[in-house]
Amino acid sequence: MLKLALRNVFRHVGRTSLTMAAIIAGVVGLIVSGGFVHDIFVQLGESVIHSQSGHIQVSREGFRQGGAREPERYRIAHPQPIEKTIAATPGVRDVMARITFSGLLNNGRSDLAINGEGVEPDKEAALGTHLAMVAGRRLRASDEHGVMVGDGVARALKLEPGDRVTLMLSSEGGAVNTADLDVVGVFRTFSKDYDARAIRVPLAAAQDALGTPGISTIVVSLERTEDTDRIAGELEAKLAGQHLDVATWQTLNDFYAKTVKLYERQFDVLRAIILLMVLLSVANSVNMSLFERIPEFGTMRALGDRSGFIVRLVLVECLVLGVAGSAIGAILGVLVSAGISFVGIPMPPPPNSDVGYVARIEIVPVLVLAAFAIGVVATALAGIPAARRAVRIPVVDALRQAI
Amino acid sequence: MTGEPARAGRPTRAPDADPRLAVSVQGVSKEYALGEERVVALANVSLNVDRGVFLALAGPSGSGKSTLLNMIGCIDTPTRGRIVINGRDVSGRTPDELAALRARTIGFVFQTFNLFPVLTAYENVEYPLQHLPEIGRRERRERVLHFLDVVGLADYARHRPNQLSGGQRQRVAIARALVAHPQLVLADEPTANLDHRTGRNILRLMRRINRATKVTFIFSTHDPQVIRMADRRVDLEDGEIVRLGVRARKEWSYAFERAAEPPAFADGETQPGR
Ligand SMILES: Nc1ncnc2c1ncn2[C@@H]1O[C@H](COP(=O)(O)OP(=O)(O)OP(=O)(O)O)[C@@H](O)[C@H]1O
Ligand SMILES: [Mg+2]
Repeated sequence: MLKLALRNVFRHVGRTSLTMAAIIAGVVGLIVSGGFVHDIFVQLGESVIHSQSGHIQVSREGFRQGGAREPERYRIAHPQPIEKTIAATPGVRDVMARITFSGLLNNGRSDLAINGEGVEPDKEAALGTHLAMVAGRRLRASDEHGVMVGDGVARALKLEPGDRVTLMLSSEGGAVNTADLDVVGVFRTFSKDYDARAIRVPLAAAQDALGTPGISTIVVSLERTEDTDRIAGELEAKLAGQHLDVATWQTLNDFYAKTVKLYERQFDVLRAIILLMVLLSVANSVNMSLFERIPEFGTMRALGDRSGFIVRLVLVECLVLGVAGSAIGAILGVLVSAGISFVGIPMPPPPNSDVGYVARIEIVPVLVLAAFAIGVVATALAGIPAARRAVRIPVVDALRQAI
Repeated sequence: MTGEPARAGRPTRAPDADPRLAVSVQGVSKEYALGEERVVALANVSLNVDRGVFLALAGPSGSGKSTLLNMIGCIDTPTRGRIVINGRDVSGRTPDELAALRARTIGFVFQTFNLFPVLTAYENVEYPLQHLPEIGRRERRERVLHFLDVVGLADYARHRPNQLSGGQRQRVAIARALVAHPQLVLADEPTANLDHRTGRNILRLMRRINRATKVTFIFSTHDPQVIRMADRRVDLEDGEIVRLGVRARKEWSYAFERAAEPPAFADGETQPGR
């Protein structure tokens, strides 16, 4: 029967290529659309990681809840041993310290309340690949009194690179300290809200002004984003008992999860529509080619074939078609995805952001497998009822359709 | 033909188990419902067909030739009456039982040839043998080659149907109908899609096979030339048998003619229909 099925499939080029085209188009559509959606999430995640949070952050327990109000209560006084432990973990690319503070920034005429971060400039530059510079340049390790301000901050205080500003903050001891700083650059992340309040100064300058040798968080950047959860788990185990909190970028940016959830809903609808179209077009072409073959099935039955044999034959043919078509579709889908990614699709800025980006088609193995499976199953499912219908036609009537 | 000339195509209700009969049609009617109307395609037809005859079904279009052949071929079921093939009543059998019966006892030749387009001539002829598991590979091959040779297509074994002429296709179909060694070959207008000369050649081939193998052939046709090649004829009109003929030399002698007086049958059976 397999021999006959293969002959029916491969010797009837016209009929086969029609059905095959429907399967291939469907599988390619599923891979490309799924990969496009996936890429959006990946890129959003990467931009969160590489413009703000890094992959993992380690801080004192309670810092994420109370750190904004009382940052001095949650300082890590001696970060070096912890940083060493983290850096020794395989998969970790870099470890850097940040100290957060709030204060006022003055341009000589007016004040603006800001959320500041003291950072290690060179390491941050390596991590912050998604941090766009609107003007000037990034902070360097040599900028002892330099400051990099968010786009919104620059606009509110009308700042340009080269301007001089004064930062006022209250020190650990309760005194108000000031620091004169030179604006070296204006940056933009994916989030407008963040940019409206954010400034970054060298870690030493911030520690100096705050009068503390401690830090707030240790930011970890990884070789691969996929490893985040695994390495976070390892770090948790390694740092157990030190009253430290290990948080991944997903926990740190709960808006990411919310955004993904929202889009996921909308894309589910899109995917359902694509899936339906795939099923319908495959079913349609399978039906058409089986309808054409009603006289052939009539002949087969006149010559002694049972109805069950014909249904099984059609099922085998559909499986052959489905597997071959879906395999070609999967390969083609991957190639098309790679091609589109190579060219790139320029996208407008997502909501709450000013930065547009170039969308690609992420090649997700699970999606490719799922598309392949859907192609095979859809073809088989389409074939069975059509074949059942075809063999329910009385032999005489089936034969009469030959004319 | 010498013993009982009236036997083939005699309308009768003979006992089932007559071993000389290939087919016995007993009081068969076929009706179709077309909306409110009832179309009577066959009206109480009875017919016995001896083994080994070469029988033509004649009659105008719509007279019921195809309907009768389909019923004998067990691909259609009568509204009333019984069909006995090889001494076995086929009424009340499941579709699968009928399929098995067709596979072993009946060969079909169609007006439109109905070869499988994706299979070669060889593979088309081989096709019915898949139902006969007792036939091994070697015999299979021998049989296929033998029948391709019988129909004169030994050199065309690897050709696909679309690479063959109409006459050649019908020859392949004849080989396919014979390969399972059936007792009965049914051919509904086997020459209708062929020109006259090719059609007659096909008929000659069928008759030669009939003589050589003693397989019973029943075919329908409109062509008087083709009817002349049969040794029995059954004339249908409006779903009824109106004439039964037996050929001796070139002459038909009619065992039964409706227009004439009801014939006196040797065994005293009554005439069916009406
Ligand atoms: N499926 C059907 N539904 C309704 N009527 C039918 C059907 N099949 C056959 N008939 C009718 O039965 C009668 C006999 O048809 P049949 O096909 O047996 O004639 P025929 O002698 O083979 O004719 P032809 O020489 O044209 O092939 C015709 O009146 C036809 O209209
Ligand atoms: Mg007919």
